[in-house]
Amino acid sequence: MAAWTCRFLLYRGARVLAGRTGAVAAADSCLFQSVRTVKTTTWWEEHLTEDNKSYMRKSLGEEYNRQIAAKLHPLKDEPWPRQEWTKESRRVGLVAVKLGMAPVWTKTGERHVVTMLQVQDCHVLNYLSKEEYDGHTAALMVGGKNASPFYKSDEEMEMFRLAGVPPKQKVTTFKVSDNAIIKPGTPLYAAHFRPGQYVDVTAKTIGKGFQGVMKRYGFKGQPASHGQTKTHRRPGASGPGGDPAKVFKGKKMPGMMGNVFDTAHGLKVWRVNTRYNVIYVHGSVPGHKNCLLKVRDTNLPTYVEKNINPPFPTFFCEEDEQLPEDLYDEDLFIHTQPSLTL
Amino acid sequence: MAACTRRLDKVMFSIRLLRNIQQKNERFLSTSMRRLDEGSDGGKPTKFTPPPKPVIIDKTQSEASLRKFLSPEFIPPRQRINPLKFAIERKDMIQRRKVLNIPEFYVGSVLAVTMADPHASGKTNRFMGICIQRGGHGLGATFVLRNIIDGQGVEICYEMYSPRLQQLEVLKLEKRLDNNLMYLRDALPEYSTVNLDMKPVPHSVTGDVPVNKTRVRMRPKPWSKRWERPKYNVQGIRFDLCLSPEKLEHAQKWAEPWREYDMLKEYDTTALEERFLKEVQTEMSKSTCP
Repeated sequence: MAAWTCRFLLYRGARVLAGRTGAVAAADSCLFQSVRTVKTTTWWEEHLTEDNKSYMRKSLGEEYNRQIAAKLHPLKDEPWPRQEWTKESRRVGLVAVKLGMAPVWTKTGERHVVTMLQVQDCHVLNYLSKEEYDGHTAALMVGGKNASPFYKSDEEMEMFRLAGVPPKQKVTTFKVSDNAIIKPGTPLYAAHFRPGQYVDVTAKTIGKGFQGVMKRYGFKGQPASHGQTKTHRRPGASGPGGDPAKVFKGKKMPGMMGNVFDTAHGLKVWRVNTRYNVIYVHGSVPGHKNCLLKVRDTNLPTYVEKNINPPFPTFFCEEDEQLPEDLYDEDLFIHTQPSLTL
Repeated sequence: MAACTRRLDKVMFSIRLLRNIQQKNERFLSTSMRRLDEGSDGGKPTKFTPPPKPVIIDKTQSEASLRKFLSPEFIPPRQRINPLKFAIERKDMIQRRKVLNIPEFYVGSVLAVTMADPHASGKTNRFMGICIQRGGHGLGATFVLRNIIDGQGVEICYEMYSPRLQQLEVLKLEKRLDNNLMYLRDALPEYSTVNLDMKPVPHSVTGDVPVNKTRVRMRPKPWSKRWERPKYNVQGIRFDLCLSPEKLEHAQKWAEPWREYDMLKEYDTTALEERFLKEVQTEMSKSTCP
């Protein structure tokens, strides 16, 4: 994490000189050059030779594969005792990557849109007991999508080293009940969710930067013509008037929009692809394409009865029965079926 | 290429194999002449296979001379999307194509579409018209058919992979000078009318698609869009009959001659097209899964 600054200098003089003398310098073509001013920090490949760099990268990939292979069979590796699902138990969620959106059709011909979320290298990293976490519920830390260890500090790497998994790009905490705890290092798969269940998806929304009040809060603005002087997108009045004689805290005003965490609640899972670990979730989710999301079972009371008897505490690849490549919801039209006759 | 030569060898060896290969190849060839069913293969009791699609196959022609066509919705747009998403969508598209025959057609062809409709008598409705636009990528690909019925212009946008579509027939396969015929809305009605009793026009499966070079006469201005402007790049309108040369020159003010040199807009899809075409052909030639 070398935070170095550089100065951009204009080397116009040097170029003219080179032209006069007739000598051609290698760095002559660009007018701008950057000069490093802070030299205390360094990045991992700064002082390595080429073959050392390639060796480091290759050994990194091999190490990842070894770690993932070692964790492929969690049930043979002294797993923690598995308990039965009850109505009050809360199980862990997943970290997924938003791939994109696609249309789906139901058996009655209605068209819906779904978002495809892929679960890439999701592992349980750490267990925090009730006392360690907040005094009320236990928690499990889960990470998704492998990342490079060269840009992580030693404190961050400690958790990954203890769990024996490659370092992850996103690490989140899920509150779980005591009967749903999983040993750190267990891989989590997309079959953890089944079609027909309802999930909540949390992600950072797309950042829009500093935005005015019309885009940010949907204010109506002012008319475009009929005498308006320089006032078309302004907020207008900011409060009652002389009685409070102040503007209340939390007044909606222009500011930074987006790039905050937002949750989409109550999204139905239409389809799960166990081969590529893809979950098809109803509607849209916050975040841009290829962003990392947090997926967990719904908290909404209306969908509580849809989420009964899930794979508990999670789906284990080796022990549970071999699932087919695609799991579909019962209302979903599968493309191998003949065309609908309504 | 190796696959083609292998298949050619098989054709030389046995006629039965040829017939099987013809039946498999019917999926991505499109004609509209009816052919009597060849009759079931005698001998071994097989599970029910759907009757072969009506197709004319010239037995003297080898597979190498058949026209290679990859539907444009298979080509992914130039975005930062994981190719895995397109691969999964392509699998679904191929599965749907094994059930419903989506023929080869271009903008300017005349199609007839039969769709399931719960409110129609007989539960299906049939519409035919000229395809004026093909849009969308992947499973959400659409095409718009235009026709004039009882003096009223009607355009219907169909989703190609919707399960409500039951049959797609190409009545006339041809291309036009443009790949977007939205200007037919402002053209004289005779150019958008398709006779509802039209019989399918036979077309060949080899060689180039015939290009209809008609240039359309327009109604008087105002039009829905300023079709004379270079951004629409319309070749198929008789501008000389509706606009004066000064107006045409004035429209050239909106030309953006630097766009052809814009390197960020370059998108070379030839390698992708070859790969996807081969993938689609191999997947379609595999028989329907048990």
